Amino acid sequence: MSDKPDKPKDRREFLVRAGIGAGLVALGTQALASLRSLVPNVSYDSPTTVKLGPPGEFPDGMKFLPDQRLFVFREGTVFHAISAVCTHLGCTVRAEALSQVETRTVEGSPLKVTHRFLCPCHGSRYTGDGENVAGPAPRPLAWYHLSVAADDGQLVVDLARPVPRSFRLAVA
Amino acid sequence: MASPPETARPQAPGVHPRPFWSVAPASDRQAGDAVVSNFALHWFPAKALKDSLAWRYSLWLGTISAALLLLLTLSGLPLLFLHVPSVERAYGSVKDIEYVVTFGYWIRSVHRFAAHFMVAAVFLHLARVFLTGAYKNGSGGNQHREWNWVIGVGMLLVTLFLSFTGYLLPWDQLAYWAVTVGTNIASAVPVVGARIRELLLGGRTIDQPTLIRFYALHVVVLPGALAALFAYHMWRIRKDGGLASADRASAPTASVEVPAGASKTYTLLGIARGTGPTIRASSVEARDTTVNSVPDLTRRAAIVVLGTVAFVAILSVFVHSPLEEPASALVTPNPAKAPWYFLWLQEIVTDTTIRIGSFTVNGAFVGGVLLPGLLVALMVAWPWLDRSPAAAAGRWFPRTRRTQNLVFLLLVLLVLALTFVGTFCRGPYWRLYWPWQAWPDLPTRI
Repeated sequence: MSDKPDKPKDRREFLVRAGIGAGLVALGTQALASLRSLVPNVSYDSPTTVKLGPPGEFPDGMKFLPDQRLFVFREGTVFHAISAVCTHLGCTVRAEALSQVETRTVEGSPLKVTHRFLCPCHGSRYTGDGENVAGPAPRPLAWYHLSVAADDGQLVVDLARPVPRSFRLAVA
Repeated sequence: MASPPETARPQAPGVHPRPFWSVAPASDRQAGDAVVSNFALHWFPAKALKDSLAWRYSLWLGTISAALLLLLTLSGLPLLFLHVPSVERAYGSVKDIEYVVTFGYWIRSVHRFAAHFMVAAVFLHLARVFLTGAYKNGSGGNQHREWNWVIGVGMLLVTLFLSFTGYLLPWDQLAYWAVTVGTNIASAVPVVGARIRELLLGGRTIDQPTLIRFYALHVVVLPGALAALFAYHMWRIRKDGGLASADRASAPTASVEVPAGASKTYTLLGIARGTGPTIRASSVEARDTTVNSVPDLTRRAAIVVLGTVAFVAILSVFVHSPLEEPASALVTPNPAKAPWYFLWLQEIVTDTTIRIGSFTVNGAFVGGVLLPGLLVALMVAWPWLDRSPAAAAGRWFPRTRRTQNLVFLLLVLLVLALTFVGTFCRGPYWRLYWPWQAWPDLPTRI
């Protein structure tokens, strides 16, 4: 109130303005409080670390896990996992098997590429290692960290932990 | 208690003695009273310019939009009782409405058709107002039609958001993936995007909090906002001196000396501030340019409203509303298409990912936030950018506004073309196909 250019002429005017100001501040604060109540404090989302099952039960090649929206690849004893969430607007991409398997070098490590990924929403296309090659997708598909659970030896994915595309999990 | 004799009782001022109005008033006095003293009609002027009522000028698109809003409110009420906003039961309840509830499919179709038509009608109304320059202030003083245009743009956005929140409620595949895409567009907003998405979803994943939020928005918040904007929109029309075409009809040049009336006890109910042209008695009350609102205006309004209701109600008997498979996070439909009025946006988010060297801007931001934002900003600012003369207000395609009308129509054409491509030329994986071309047989599930 006090920093206004037109100084209140008398006490009455000052009190009127202070009253109106206090009312506005009160209304604003209550509106903000109401809005804040809509921001969740507790997340009931499913956990980001998920046990996927014993590694031996995964087929050689690719397996799609719809609940995690995840592709898990197995090449003998070596595993890696690629997200099925399109980096453009979050639709689930579909895998399409390539007619012939090719081996590519991805970030220094060789990778047997068996599929490519296509998004049904806006037509983004990715190669088998998740690289975005066509359509509006701005980034490659995420690779997620895999590990083996200490207690029961199940394969565990951490959906909150993206890893570089050279990541491989070798299961003994 | 003994009541004082009828004559001694003071009359409440200006309350119409009859619960409704006189459909065929016997005198001008009665016609004026029918409006001024009547609750249902008091927002109309007592007299209306013939030019304002012309079918060919306004095409009555605003009235059609209002009629559709009325229909949506009425058909929404039974749906409100029947729909269960829970992720487990929403789909089942809508399926029940469609297949089990008596007349349920009809009520749902009325609601859905009215919603589709309302998007179209509100947009066409906006196009009419633009093409006739009706957001321009005419010859009257203290008019602020530009603000009513801004309110109108706001109402178009609320209408679109109502449609968006509405088609989520069945919780089918269309709903689930529309929320996915829609809220990811919101999260493409710089800095606060992720927070907006979390606020909309009520969490980080689409679940019960999401459904209840969109439900509350659809049935309370947005209709309330639309009602408030609608009331203000109507009030402003009166305060700005009626339709823009009325400015011309009542311009001083058209003034005719009116012989002093014998019993002129009424006047316009709403008076433009200052010296608005509508209060120039010489023209507004001239017998050859004006008519009594009752019954001339009320009759046409009734024709439009009842016609709209009849059209939607009858169409809904014959055409059922679609319901996709239950929402499933596991499978994105292929192709996943938004409703027709969002398909042009789906097209531009597809085509606007920009790559400069290694630097990439997501199409979600360019096509989903930046371009629509610019378009809305341009629309809002247009009345202040339009430098055409006041005489161009309230005319179809005036010479002085030819360029801007052409640009507007080109933009509309572009949006329609994108909508056409999205509707008819996009197949699986959003690839381009001719409308007559068969789509390849792809597995629907992986």
